[in-house]
Amino acid sequence: MSKEQGAPFSGSIMVVGGGISGLTTALEAAEVGYEVFIVEKNPYLGGRVAQLKQYFPKLCPPTCGLEINFRRIKDNPRIKFFTLAEVEKVEGSAGNYNVSVKLNPRYVNENCTCCGACADACQTEIPNEFNFDMDKRKGAFLPHEMAFPARYVISPQIIGTEDAKRCKEACPYDAVDLEMQPKTMDLNVGAIVWATGWEPYDAAKIDNLGFGQYPNIITNMMLERQAAPNGPTNGQILKPSDSKPPESVAFVQCAGSRDQNHLPYCSYICCMASLKHATYIREQYPDTKVYIFYIDLRTPGYRYEKFYDTVKADENVEFVKGKVAAVEDGGTGRVTVIAEDAISGKKIRQTVDMVVLATGMQPTAVNAKLPAADLKYTEEGFIINELDKGGMFATGCANKPADVMMSNQNATGIALKAIQTMVKR
Amino acid sequence: MADKYLVQPDIEFINELRATGGESLKSCFQCATCSVACPIAPDRKPFPRKEMIAASWGLKDKLLSNPDIWLCHNCGDCTAQCPRGAKPGDVLAAIRMKAIKEYARPKFVADAINKGKHLPLLLILPAVIFIVIGLLTGFLDFTPERVHGEIVQAEFFSQWLVDIVFVPLSIWVVVIFAMGLKRFMDDIHKNAVAEGKTDKQTIDTKGFLAALVRVIPAILKHSRFSECSENNDRATPHMMVLFSFIALFIVTAVFFITLYVFGIHGPYSQLHPVKILANVGGIVLIIGAALLMKQRMDKTDEVSTYKDWYLLWLVLGLGVTGMLTELLRLADAAFLTYLIYFIHLMLAFHLVAFLPFSKLAHLVYRTVAMAYNEYSGRESSNA
Repeated sequence: MSKEQGAPFSGSIMVVGGGISGLTTALEAAEVGYEVFIVEKNPYLGGRVAQLKQYFPKLCPPTCGLEINFRRIKDNPRIKFFTLAEVEKVEGSAGNYNVSVKLNPRYVNENCTCCGACADACQTEIPNEFNFDMDKRKGAFLPHEMAFPARYVISPQIIGTEDAKRCKEACPYDAVDLEMQPKTMDLNVGAIVWATGWEPYDAAKIDNLGFGQYPNIITNMMLERQAAPNGPTNGQILKPSDSKPPESVAFVQCAGSRDQNHLPYCSYICCMASLKHATYIREQYPDTKVYIFYIDLRTPGYRYEKFYDTVKADENVEFVKGKVAAVEDGGTGRVTVIAEDAISGKKIRQTVDMVVLATGMQPTAVNAKLPAADLKYTEEGFIINELDKGGMFATGCANKPADVMMSNQNATGIALKAIQTMVKR
Repeated sequence: MADKYLVQPDIEFINELRATGGESLKSCFQCATCSVACPIAPDRKPFPRKEMIAASWGLKDKLLSNPDIWLCHNCGDCTAQCPRGAKPGDVLAAIRMKAIKEYARPKFVADAINKGKHLPLLLILPAVIFIVIGLLTGFLDFTPERVHGEIVQAEFFSQWLVDIVFVPLSIWVVVIFAMGLKRFMDDIHKNAVAEGKTDKQTIDTKGFLAALVRVIPAILKHSRFSECSENNDRATPHMMVLFSFIALFIVTAVFFITLYVFGIHGPYSQLHPVKILANVGGIVLIIGAALLMKQRMDKTDEVSTYKDWYLLWLVLGLGVTGMLTELLRLADAAFLTYLIYFIHLMLAFHLVAFLPFSKLAHLVYRTVAMAYNEYSGRESSNA
């Protein structure tokens, strides 16, 4: 199409980030005829959604949304995706960008059948990032069981060791290639969509909430991994200290959010996430008490409000209006959270088996600067969309905190904006 | 806030708080971090979260009659942890100042003292009073003679003149405080009953006095102040200032008694125990005041307003002029001795006369509020 409008504008779109927003933008653009490159730094597509047990409000498992998208990618010759890939340099202007992409070696080629023989042979264990280091995985691993592309990865940490050799020898399909080197690839594209997503805010920075000091204080994303069937505890929510089911759990809302000492903004999803987590716990343990300490509960829209009403009706879930501002040792591995109940005017000291910090999302670009010079950011590190300028856009949580539904809506809109960049010229 | 309540905001009150150190109060979103951060807030109806919403809503009566504003020692832990930069510590300080102005009569005096623009006039006031009364009575002698070759301040500024001014002043201070305190006690009790901070129905004098006796050691030891973490380093200098004032008060009282009962005039020998106490008190006062000022200047995330600086400069000025008078006398510089002594007395006039109207009135209100809190039984019952 761009050729009809005249050269030298390339008709390709680059999407940086293969999470739910990036996938949506890529598919929407590709399915109307544009060539799309997805650049993903992880060895798999699916991003944060792949880490969830369920997403709200319908509580579907992530396979539900991701599988269909992976199918569409497989079926669409216009989409090319690169995993373990990072954008290194962006030059040019709207309609004509030259992008250098670094491809990191996976050390496993397309012969891989996911038989797992390499992992069985590998002796080294490394902390499992996918599960927020709550367990370990082998030096040769499949990131998770629905990873797409379905192919093992050899960690760079074991390259050059005996272990790597053992993996190679164990592979019956000659899929392990220890000689792979990083490569750089140059692509010319007309528009770039940054779908670089988010990271959970580092809970260790919130001094007064005791993360890292008490083993039974975890974050909401850690709970999500525990609850996921493919997680470190095979879907069981357990106290980290003794791997026993918690009889009481306190959720600390706005942990490091809406706080000028941490993230000054509301991350939009944490209220719904904690309500969802309450349902996980209540399903698993019918007698476990759940306490949700909040400043304000934000459940926008009819569906989310209804979800809140359902959780509120559960008599084992207690809502306390007051932010937890301190934690204490509750004895025998328990933790006491302290808050003022602003409704009764009483200082509450609730001792529970486990505390979940509902931490917010921070744009990935804050901790890993993007290589594009002319992007504009908010003070908090979200990319500002300059829609009139065109060329480069941000979508999903790179642009603002959002849930999956909003991310998808936004990603579809941004796909159109990316297309317009090329068509207008 | 469970009961139904028609909010009648006093906008003027809100604006006044915002103009006197509480400018950020509207940033508060009631998360209640402050009530937990505060190391000295009781479990039953903790502060300052409820004070923040009352301030935001302009509920003047609810706030000024609230003993909790006095339980706060402005240690700043709430301000440091506040996620919104609403600075509850500074808001409470502004409310306290407003309460002092409210309970001290006549009101115009409080208004005058707490505005910088009246300061020159107020500084001249004692000088005019001293000179007018001094000249009328002849107690001010501008050509003082030496006694046995030594400088004696009383030859210039007669002890009679000091007492003619300061004895009635002290009485006026006591009367003003007495009037204010009666209303204050009634109000804080009513507030505590209404807000469920106490189960006591009336204030029984004996019980209250017993509570007062119980809190005095805590006040002297600054045990509450020391629980703060943010402004912990303010506790020691504050204690220095308090103790030096106590020491200097004792010294003044001893001089007064020996003069009128035994007819012994100063100056005393440097080795006299009372003189040693006076000298130590003076030096500690200067160091304490200087440290407090330095800490205020270093602490840029907290608001310091006119009320704070007025008092600190006054205290420092008293200490410095007091010590200088003595040093100049010993250095035999007659004119300077008299001049600085005169200034010292001007500052002393400020301290005493305006005690019920300035920030220093916290001495009385905080003590009474702490005693009341002890009496109320709020801390012991975690109902």
